[in-house]
Amino acid sequence: MSIRFPSLEFFKALQQRAKDDADVFEKLGVCDTTFGIRVGSDLYRIAFEVYECTEVDETNDPASLDFVLTAPVALWKDMFESVIANGGADAAHTINTLTHVGDVMKVEYEDPEGHDRLYRFMATIQEFLDEAQHLDVEMG
Amino acid sequence: MSYISPKDFSEDTGLIAEVMRVMGGDLRLEWMKDCPHAMAARPSQPRRGLTLDDINDDPYYGPSAIPEIIRRHFSMTPRGGVLPEGLPSLGYRLNRKSDVWADSATVLFEESKSRRWAPARSVPWDALDEASLSSEEDVAIRQLCTGLTSIGLVSTDVPSRWVWLMNQDFHEIKYWMCAQMFDATRLAEAFRKRALYGRGALGCDSRELGELLKIIMESETYPLASAALNLTLFSFVQNLGRRFEYLSTNAADTYLGTRLVQDASRFVAYGIDHIRQLVGTRPSQAEIVNDHLDLVENGLVGYLGSRELIEPLVVLSGGVESVAAFYRRAAEQYFERCVAAGLGERQDRSPLPAFLKLLDS
Repeated sequence: MSIRFPSLEFFKALQQRAKDDADVFEKLGVCDTTFGIRVGSDLYRIAFEVYECTEVDETNDPASLDFVLTAPVALWKDMFESVIANGGADAAHTINTLTHVGDVMKVEYEDPEGHDRLYRFMATIQEFLDEAQHLDVEMG
Repeated sequence: MSYISPKDFSEDTGLIAEVMRVMGGDLRLEWMKDCPHAMAARPSQPRRGLTLDDINDDPYYGPSAIPEIIRRHFSMTPRGGVLPEGLPSLGYRLNRKSDVWADSATVLFEESKSRRWAPARSVPWDALDEASLSSEEDVAIRQLCTGLTSIGLVSTDVPSRWVWLMNQDFHEIKYWMCAQMFDATRLAEAFRKRALYGRGALGCDSRELGELLKIIMESETYPLASAALNLTLFSFVQNLGRRFEYLSTNAADTYLGTRLVQDASRFVAYGIDHIRQLVGTRPSQAEIVNDHLDLVENGLVGYLGSRELIEPLVVLSGGVESVAAFYRRAAEQYFERCVAAGLGERQDRSPLPAFLKLLDS
């Protein structure tokens, strides 16, 4: 059954995929951050603790997050289409690449140390998003 | 000159008599009675294992009992161990907690080991065989790797100059510095391998990079060395990693850039926390650190402007504007970190803004 993007159900499916691929995430190492993904006007909260994605929900409190990856719906769709087509983001669609220039995907943060958690745990966060390759996604 | 113990143990009749008594079954077991404090160390989160924070969860063994200035002992005794009479001093010179301490060091040490990678097999090197790089781009990447290799090597030297001077009571910081040395070694190894992979070659060293690294290495005190290395240099190394990944066209370079970012970010995290705790405890240190960073940033301007760095970045980025914007963002993030470290706004005293303005013009 296909899962619509964007939706909370989609991010919960990524969480389940990450649990199914626990060995991959354990190999990447500990990851302790709670961050946000803003798709258009919707803000999803993703929490990682030790090796696991422990929580996924919606929030309207960005101040409680280490950082928020913010992009229009179309850009997120473009990114996840790349993930699905290439078995993981290609070089042009990694989180680092999309946020590096600053005007494609924005990284919002209040605390520089919270912001740096994106970089400390980037490989895990990328792997989490790359789990979309295993989903049957219906782009909404 | 080697140290010579004041006692010749092989001729010590008292020691030999004691050994003979033990061999004859006369066990005193005083060391057994002397155990002063037992704690029940257990993993607080089984998935994470038994961490340094778990075994520090007792005021007797944890860092909360470390005084700001250690006057009690300068021996090899681990914190919380019994100190018998007559222990030799190991000559530690870093005995002030705020000179070295960062609460986050325990977490960063555990994180460094947990997020390890091995360049020999972790990097998908064969992706480089299919990489569609022009010969100019290929040489430019190898040139960037040459500089990153130099930075990695010197970044092993800097903690090594200080760790042996640090009191054993700060063992978490010593552990962390050893992890930093290993992390920096791995970066040097990985980027040297990248430079030489296939029909590769190392590029040209940079006098300006050498000057920057020398300024950092010869910092007069450990707090100044830490600010220079962790806060300043690695803020820019982290951004170079981000640039490396951004410019990558293949899985090997994407992997290398991502790992450079993640490893460099731990240095940055320690640097912010260390300097914040230093100036929080001794506010007068802020100006001393800021004075030093004036010099370090001057060296950084030299490196950022050196042809050995800026030219390969221009070749790979397809123009100067993109490199100028990259430098500008890296500097903005660096200045934010200086504020978080308690150093205040540095833009008005730093040579970086004028340099960036020059690039924009």
